[in-house]
Parts: sequence; structure tokens; C-alpha cells
Amino acid sequence: MNRPIVNAGKFQRPLTTIIAAVLIITVTFYLAVPVLALFFRTTPELFLESLQNPEVLSALWLSIFTSVISLVIVLLVGTPFAYFHSRNQYPGRMLVDTIIDLPLVLPPAVAGVALLLLYGRSGLVGKYLSMFGISIAFTTLAVIIAQIFVASPFYLRQAKSLFEQLDPAYEKTALTLGASPLRIFATITLPLTAGGLVSGAVMTFGRALGEFGATLMFAGNLPGVTQTMPLAVYVGMQGELNVGITVSILLVIISFAIMIAIRILAKKEVRNA
Amino acid sequence: MLELTLRKTLRDFSLEVYMEVRPGRIMALMGDNGAGKSTILNMVAGLISPDSGSISINGTIICDTAHGISLPVEKRRIGYVLQNPAVFPHMSVRENIAYGPKAEGLSRDVISARVDHWLEKLEIRDLAQVKAGNLSGGQRQRVALARALATEPSLLMLDEPFTALDADSMQSVKKYIRTFVTEMKIPCLIVTHRVLDSKEIGDQACIMSRGKMEWVGNPSDFPLCSCRDVTVTS
Amino acid sequence: MSSKTTKPNAIIILSMICSLLLIFAFAAGCTSGTTTTPAATTPVAATPVETAVPVSTVAAAITTEVPAQAAVTVTSTPTPVYTASEGDLVVYTAASLTGASSALGKAFEAAYPGHKVIFNLAGTQTLKEQVEAGAYADVFISASNKYTTALKQENYFINSSVKTLCYNYIVVITPKDNPGNIQSLSDLGKTGKMLAIGTKEVPVGIATNAVIDNLANSTYGQDWKNAVYANVKSYETAEPGVANKVALGEVDAGFVYESTYKAASAGTYNVLTISKKDNYLQTYSIGVLREGTNKDVANEFEQFMLSSVGQGILSDYGFTPAV
Repeated sequence: MNRPIVNAGKFQRPLTTIIAAVLIITVTFYLAVPVLALFFRTTPELFLESLQNPEVLSALWLSIFTSVISLVIVLLVGTPFAYFHSRNQYPGRMLVDTIIDLPLVLPPAVAGVALLLLYGRSGLVGKYLSMFGISIAFTTLAVIIAQIFVASPFYLRQAKSLFEQLDPAYEKTALTLGASPLRIFATITLPLTAGGLVSGAVMTFGRALGEFGATLMFAGNLPGVTQTMPLAVYVGMQGELNVGITVSILLVIISFAIMIAIRILAKKEVRNA
Repeated sequence: MLELTLRKTLRDFSLEVYMEVRPGRIMALMGDNGAGKSTILNMVAGLISPDSGSISINGTIICDTAHGISLPVEKRRIGYVLQNPAVFPHMSVRENIAYGPKAEGLSRDVISARVDHWLEKLEIRDLAQVKAGNLSGGQRQRVALARALATEPSLLMLDEPFTALDADSMQSVKKYIRTFVTEMKIPCLIVTHRVLDSKEIGDQACIMSRGKMEWVGNPSDFPLCSCRDVTVTS
Repeated sequence: MSSKTTKPNAIIILSMICSLLLIFAFAAGCTSGTTTTPAATTPVAATPVETAVPVSTVAAAITTEVPAQAAVTVTSTPTPVYTASEGDLVVYTAASLTGASSALGKAFEAAYPGHKVIFNLAGTQTLKEQVEAGAYADVFISASNKYTTALKQENYFINSSVKTLCYNYIVVITPKDNPGNIQSLSDLGKTGKMLAIGTKEVPVGIATNAVIDNLANSTYGQDWKNAVYANVKSYETAEPGVANKVALGEVDAGFVYESTYKAASAGTYNVLTISKKDNYLQTYSIGVLREGTNKDVANEFEQFMLSSVGQGILSDYGFTPAV
């Protein structure tokens, strides 16, 4: 039986309405108030003053730069991967499915250690790379690698699930109409899954932007090179409080702005499932 | 003219068919569910490969396992209307119909002309700008038909086109199919399990059972019966 | 019509009051037993409502990741908001005592049965932040006079209980195969070397900066000092972080405590000692916290740490004993 929980305007079931309202308000406050507390802890003058701090600016630039690149790589590589993975039954498919989820359950610090033991100077792969003069740990590249490692599952799982749920009849029909597989992907598959893919991309970006543990372990903490905003927050809170709070506020503003922008864009895409 | 010989081992039985359908003629493929009828259509379309066999349309070999020839789906020039019409829900009716010609790379004027032509023919001109996802079942089927025919295929195939329709829609669909198939001089394969429909629309009929052709001939030659299973006298 | 509209409005207002009460009750319950000082905001993850995962990740990272920097398993409690049960002792300990802590805990529990010791290990600056934000602790072991003094001035310590625990000096360590071929302190300034040191807030970082300063002024000069800092590839937020990067061979050298070098198994590191006159005397202090409810056991623990048993264990782990 389909009973709407809150029947707006009718208020025929007062108890249900109360419970619903309480839940919604409680959850919203629980999530929003700590974030708001950040803003109350500083003044606009202090905030603007900290913005002049070169470490704050470099953390800001570095975070955005690396997160965007990580997202782009995940989208470009992950989308075709998810597509082929979802459309084909190949040997070992179930294993690949499980591995995609692995970074989600791995504590970020563990991920960092693993990356270090692999790509670090003495690492399995790293030691051969360093023979060619290539070093990865402690570079901005390491930040990007760490971000991709921890954030890609968000996109891959979403994309995989969307492609799996997409009725193959559309693609098959398009084939019979004479469209090449590439054209079909661009004109049929992507538009029909765009909404979900965008939400997966948003989660991925958010996760990459907030990445801390793996970055600290694998990329290190060097202002201008590897000190992303979360690291700057952490270090700041141990010494210069204002820096820490300012960067925290910046993170909130950026993340919020991106979320809202994406939502607005997604609404513009009139979608029929 | 469509000529095909196909063999494929399926889960419970093996499929074996051979038939010829002349241009302008409609062949009704009948039989109970699971008899392999849709598989045949999919093999002709190229979505499934036969174990062995050959298919040719108007002398062009589409598929010949003996010589390793198998044209990819998108090159076969076959109009295929699925049971669930699968109109592209995010595109307008116009864009749906234009899809095939556009993929072919035709000029904008040609595409426009074809779209208008088929909108007219299937009497859906007033739906041209409607998003296909908002259409009813009967409307979707017309769009799917228009879309398939806009590519000017050499063969038209329909899988169970009559099942979800009301009586009026059914009559118009039958009228359309007959008209276009005759005008465009193309062969047509229709999968249906309804005896009445095959009698009305089919020039030939083939009854399949467990992958084998049990009966081929003129549908007017077998008695009308409202029951679903057709008993076969060998 | 009016009665119908006032009833629904009353319901909305009623629900808002209910939920606010719920939130306050929840918040009050969570912080029961600890007086929250408005001194500092707890470091929170700065991500908005919508993305739940990044919030928890950064928050978890901030509270868990610092102790977890050590590649060895560390006995640290991630969230400092709890009250020890009767008989348990909560000791906030500078991270450089990570290795010694389990031996110290076992010995104490053997000497004073019935009292379990729980160590919260992190950089002293992190621990101080946590205490200032209202976290519960019975005993605090600080690795730096700077933070000891601050905690005394802010009245967190019972000042009379604050005693010197032990000393430490700074050494330079290199990985056992010495990939950077660091043979002397001046090599640290050579181009292309990779170093790890502590941030300027963590005690080991404070000490390192002082030592580098002293060495520059006495022997190697300002150019050497600038070159050394240019070679720093990572500022670690806790001392074990530096040691681990060196142990893994990822950096050519790191500035750590002498205790870390002495406590490591033979052959893990090579060492370059720094003379006492250029070195920085790291003073570790131990004290009982005013807000603790386990004062008797806390005092026992402090006495234990200052006793020959406690000092002996510290010495085994490379610290210079106070007594």
C-alpha cells in the first residue's frame, strides 16, 4: 500500500507529520550546525587576512588542481571501463567487481602505506622507476595518484550500475539503425545515464578534495607541492588556528558551490528514465 | 528477396530454419514461446551469430559462416522493430526518426525530407516535437516503425507487434505494414503467436516448434482456432 | 478555515521545539562528564551537507590518522571523547613514546593490579588540542616545554604534579643501505637529497629547527641551512612519521629522537650524532590533569614512571632518564 508519509496541506495524520518534521529537522541540523560553527569561530577580517597567507593560497590552488585532474582521469578512463565491464561477461569479472570496491573499505592510511610500498623509492615498482630517475612519492603526482585510488570506486560503482541497468534494447536498436558503437555511446548511452554519472562524479570529486590519510602517507606534507587543504587544516589547527579555520571554511564554500552548481545543471537536463 | 539458412544450438534444443521471402511479401513466424522465433530475427539482424548458415538479401550476402563472412549489425540495412518499441526516450519523435539517416551521414535536407515523409505516413505529424518518453504504447510503436523505415532498409522485421495494442491500433498497424512493404518492395518477417493476425497479414506462415519448422505455407490453409497452441499434422 | 490553518502551524512549531530539544539532549548526553572549554574549536571536516563520505573521511583522518602514521600497530584510541571506567587510567602520551608505552603499561599493571592503562599516542600538539577541546585524560606526558608550560598556564595541569620525566636528544638517521650516501651532517645540504622532518608545531620539529639553527651558527653556515630546508620533502605531523619514512627508505635522512634510534632493532638505521652543544635538550614532562576523576591512580602512575622501574624501561627505549 502506498501511503505518502507527509501529505502536504492535509495534516490528517498529525502524529506522522510531527515525526516526519522532527526527523527532517534533526538530521538537517545535525549535519549543518557543525559546519555553521566554523563560520562563527572567525571574523570576516581574520578570514580575509588569512586568505593572504601564501600557504593558504597554495593549499587552495593545489587542492583544486589535483582534484580536478583526478576527476578528469577517473571520468576518461573509468567511463569506458565501466561500460565494457558491465556489458561483457568475461572470466574474472566477479573478482574485478570486488576489487573495484576495495579502496572503499580500506582505511585511507592503509591505502597510503600500500601506495608507498609500491611506488615509493624502495617500492616494488618504484625501485625500477627510480633507476630511470622517475620518483613519484612526495610529488604532486603522488597526491593525484592517492586521490584517484581512494575516490575512483565512487564513480566506477555508480557508472557500472547505471550501465547495467540501462535497457540494452536501446543500444541494439540503435545498431540496427546503422549507428556505430561510438555514436551509440555518445548519443544514447551517455545521455540516458548522464544524471547518475554526474552524481557519481560529484561524489568522486568530493572524496578526492577531502582526501587526507593516504596523501599524508604517500605524498607527504610539503606546502606548495603536496599540502592539500585537508592537510593544511590539520597542520593549521595545531599552530595557527586562524589558518586552519579559514581553510576549513574555504573547503566548505567550494564543496557547497560545486554541489549546488551540479544540482542546477542536472535539473536543466530534462530526464525521462 | 530474403534467403536464409540458419542453424544454432540453443539451451534445450537446436534451431534449424531455412526460408525465402520475396520482396513485398510478409512471412509470419509462429510458434509457442521459446520456439526460437525471436532468435531467428536476432540472427538476421546480426545481434546473435548462428553456428552455421547463410543469409542474403537481394543477392547481397549478409552472413556466410562457411566463408567467414558476417556483416556487423550497423551495416546490414535492416529495419527491426522490437516487441518493446525502444524509442529513445530523451529525444523527440523527430530526432528519433532522424537517428538512422543522421548516422548514415545524409545531408540535413535529405534527413528533414525523410522525417517529414514518415511523420506523414504514420500520421504522427502532431507528435513531432514530443519527447518520445512521454508517448503511449501505440504511439511509440508507430514512431519505432517510422524510425526503422526512415533508413530505407532492404528488410523489415517486427517482433510481436500486435500484442500490446487495442483493436483500432492493431488495424492501423497492419494497414501500415502492408502498405509500406508493398510500396518499398521489401520482404518482411513478423513474429507473432496469434493465429488471427497471421491470417490477416501474412502471405506466408511458418510454424516453429522447439527450433524446427513444423509447417510452412499459406496461412489461409490452416483452420482458425482461438486456442494458443497449434497442433501440427506432419 | 482559521482553525484548520492554526492547527497545522501549531504542529510545525511543536515539531521544531521537539527536534531542538532532541538535539540538545543528544549533545548534552555526548559530552556528559566533561566540561567543554570554549578555548578552541574541535577540528572538523569542512565539507557540506550533501557529501557524507568526505566528511567522515576527513574527520576520521584527523582523529585516527596521526597515530596510524607509524607503520607498526599503535595502541592509540581514535576518539578522545570518553570517560574511563573505574580503575582505567587514560594517559595522553607524546608519540615518541609509542615503542615504550606497551612495556610501561604492562609493568604498571603488574605492579598495580586492577588498573588498566590506556595510552592515547599522538603529537604533543595534537593531544594538547584535544584536551583543550574537552577530551578526557588523567595523565599527560608532554614532549616539549612549550606545551607543558602552556598547559600549566591554562590550568589543565595540577601544576604541583608536573615533573620532569626524561630527556631526549636529536639525531640524524639514514636508512640501512643509505641510498643517499649521507656520510656527514654537511651532506644533508647537498643538492638532490631527500629529507623528512617534523612540522614546526610538533615537538620533534621544534627541536629539529633549533638544532639546524645551532649547527648553522656554529659550524655549517646559513647557506647550508637553506640547502637543508630546500631538501625537505615532507613535514611530518608526528615523530614516528619521520622515522617510518626513513625506515622505508623513502627519504635519504630524517631528524628524529635519539630514543627512536636506540630503541629500533640493530641495523634498521645508520646514525649521525649531533654534539650536545649544538643539540636541543628535549625535556619530557609528566603531570596529572585537573579534570581527571582518577587522581589516586594517576598519582600512582606518575610515581611509577619516576621510579627506577619506569625510568629503567624508558632508558631501555633510548630515553635519557631524569633521575
